Amino acid sequence: MSMIDTPAQPTTRAGDPAGPGGTSPRRRRRPRKITEQVPRHLRAHLTAYLMITPMVVLLGIFVIWPLVYAFYLSFFEMSFYKDAEFVGFDFYKYVLTDPEFYESLWVGLKFALMVVPTILVLALLFASFIATLSKRMAAFMKTTVYVPAVVSSVVAAIIFVFIYQDEGFANWFIGLFGQGPLAWLNTASTALPAVAIPAIWLGFGVSTLIMLAGILDIPDSYFESARLDGANFWQRTRYITVPSLRSVILFLLVSGLTLTIQEFQLPLVMTNGGPVNATNTPNLYIFNSFRDATPYATSYSLTAALLLFLVIGTISLIIFRVVSSEKSSDA
Amino acid sequence: MRQRRLRIVAAATVAALIALAGCSSNSGTPGSSGGNGGPAEITFWQSQFEPYQQKWFKTYVDKFNASQTDVKVKYQVVPGDTWQQKLKAAQAAGTQPDVATTNYGGIPAGVANGQFAELDGMLPDKAWSDIKENVSGFVQVGGKHYAYPMLVEPSTVLYYRTDLAKAAGLDPNTPPKTWDELLTWAEKLTKGTVKGMSIASVAPDLGWSSWGLQYNACGHLPINDDWSAANAKDPCYTKLFEFYQTLFQKGWIPQQPKVGYPDATPYGQGQVAMMANGSWAVGQLKQSFPAMIKNTAVAPFPSVDGDPSKPTATLGGWTLTVDAKSKHKEAAAKFIEYLLAGDPAIMADFFRQSGFSKYTVRTSVDQALASDPAATADPFMKIISDKVVATGKAEPAYPFDISLAFATAIESVMKGKSDIPAATQKASDAIDRVIKQQRLKGTAPKG
Repeated sequence: MSMIDTPAQPTTRAGDPAGPGGTSPRRRRRPRKITEQVPRHLRAHLTAYLMITPMVVLLGIFVIWPLVYAFYLSFFEMSFYKDAEFVGFDFYKYVLTDPEFYESLWVGLKFALMVVPTILVLALLFASFIATLSKRMAAFMKTTVYVPAVVSSVVAAIIFVFIYQDEGFANWFIGLFGQGPLAWLNTASTALPAVAIPAIWLGFGVSTLIMLAGILDIPDSYFESARLDGANFWQRTRYITVPSLRSVILFLLVSGLTLTIQEFQLPLVMTNGGPVNATNTPNLYIFNSFRDATPYATSYSLTAALLLFLVIGTISLIIFRVVSSEKSSDA
Repeated sequence: MRQRRLRIVAAATVAALIALAGCSSNSGTPGSSGGNGGPAEITFWQSQFEPYQQKWFKTYVDKFNASQTDVKVKYQVVPGDTWQQKLKAAQAAGTQPDVATTNYGGIPAGVANGQFAELDGMLPDKAWSDIKENVSGFVQVGGKHYAYPMLVEPSTVLYYRTDLAKAAGLDPNTPPKTWDELLTWAEKLTKGTVKGMSIASVAPDLGWSSWGLQYNACGHLPINDDWSAANAKDPCYTKLFEFYQTLFQKGWIPQQPKVGYPDATPYGQGQVAMMANGSWAVGQLKQSFPAMIKNTAVAPFPSVDGDPSKPTATLGGWTLTVDAKSKHKEAAAKFIEYLLAGDPAIMADFFRQSGFSKYTVRTSVDQALASDPAATADPFMKIISDKVVATGKAEPAYPFDISLAFATAIESVMKGKSDIPAATQKASDAIDRVIKQQRLKGTAPKG
């Protein structure tokens, strides 16, 4: 149904002196309204089109055009002082033959695989728990889990750098078990998980709230009948909650993966990509390839960014294909 | 009713477009004149350094603006970590500064890109002849001047605690001369929570701070002189890799450094007994940790084989350059002449403010400081000037990607990620890739 009802326009009106097929000169000269010039199926949606126009214009100016122009520029070695030199696909070749580009993608993927599934599991468990609480207690818990989401990731990164210091909390904690101290952020095997923990902490709150909204949408009758059939918490979660949350989980999975692969601030502040590129996520790699003042560096980072866009787009497509996004049965 | 809705939507569209127009409006162009017949307005971007430097720049920019009516300098401090992004964005928008701080290593690449205006003819001959001979080449490309130098500062000097050395049974009057001796000192001085020394341990810091030691180990950098091929697999680098590896793996340097190489805070706070750092650390120690000065001595950084004539440091430093697209090049040159090339007392004041942690590039400034008792009495200045600056090499002018590739190899070996042959092979491949992709072959600056 269209947003506005557009009743069919009668071709004649009662009392029209000219009558059907009349040839009143006054009527013929009257300019037709714009709405009458466009086909009816478009006319029906005109208001909707007009309403989305500002956003389309904004997207066109700030997203589509820059993207198209960026692809165009990637075929040139750009200089702000000399004429740009056409180099064809050279920069694509340079990026695609750089082992560090692939290393950074692998780091980004590993980071996303550490962060997103952990967040999903924790958020599901926590949201299921909150759903069982009284209204007042649930409100308190929702606020509590959301607090990290409003903390700047730079602030979180600095807090965690202190936690991982030689004499920090993490080493104190493992010291209770007779372990350590570890150089958390300067050892290749521990650096990435150490950066993943604040990412989980920061992303957990929002995912929990979205998951909770999904859970509250599942009809109570499902759970009631499951309880009557003797299903326990795990069975109810596995056979009712998770299937009903399919769309929510898919959304969190795709948005989570695309966001975490692009993580930038945490490794920048905590490790600057080290040790030996162990935390060099793709965006940090692109950022750091921008360091030289040469025209080469500008074009290289631009091309690497475009390739990352294609990689992330492909990953999202694969996820959509693998996990079909059917609506939950009762939605 | 429908028409009313349409009007609302149309109004919203127009409002969005007006907002967009507002976003795109420009706040002004660089080098614009202050009005008809007004002074030429130039912008000056200074990379952020130690606080005293900002104070010095501001003082003399204000004095310059007050001293004449032809040129007005708009002074802006830009943090170093955002410099490149901010500068490139400004260049793309045509709002780049007329005058900017540029380090020596950035001059050849900038000239190749057409970024800097040639300054010959814009500054008087006596300004150029006043520059010391060993620095004069740093600001020239193809025999032409593209920058005016401000200072030099050696990248690597050894600082050590005399009190802790004595306590460890070491003679503070005979500091280590070889890398092996330095390792022995580091071992003996590592006690409890105090580490033997601090030195760069991450690739971005190793990239530039190890240039002097690369020269020391092999007499060359990991690339051929004509930049035609990598030279990173030279066996003479083995000692360099082992030196860094031993310090890290034995735990004689902090395993998780809290600050970068140029920051002397861990030494100032007593967390390390020795420190490899640039000469600028003298200024930081004097200003932030004055109590540490009486127990601190400086020495040239040890040499691989004890030969003191081999370089251990590169001479970094800063210059002022004029943008090639500046509309007021003459006015910009006039400002540079006032600040860096004119009255020697202005630069002498700078070196005084720095606690004599940086070194002059002009003969006339040396003369101005010769009569200053504070300069002549400084315990560190003579050692660094005579024994470190004297053997220092110019910073390499090749892209930092090459330095980073070699530094990544050092870091890989330090942290046990790969052995020396594998690390140098990877660095060599990466350097060859940079040479090919950035078309460096045969572009090495002469001299």
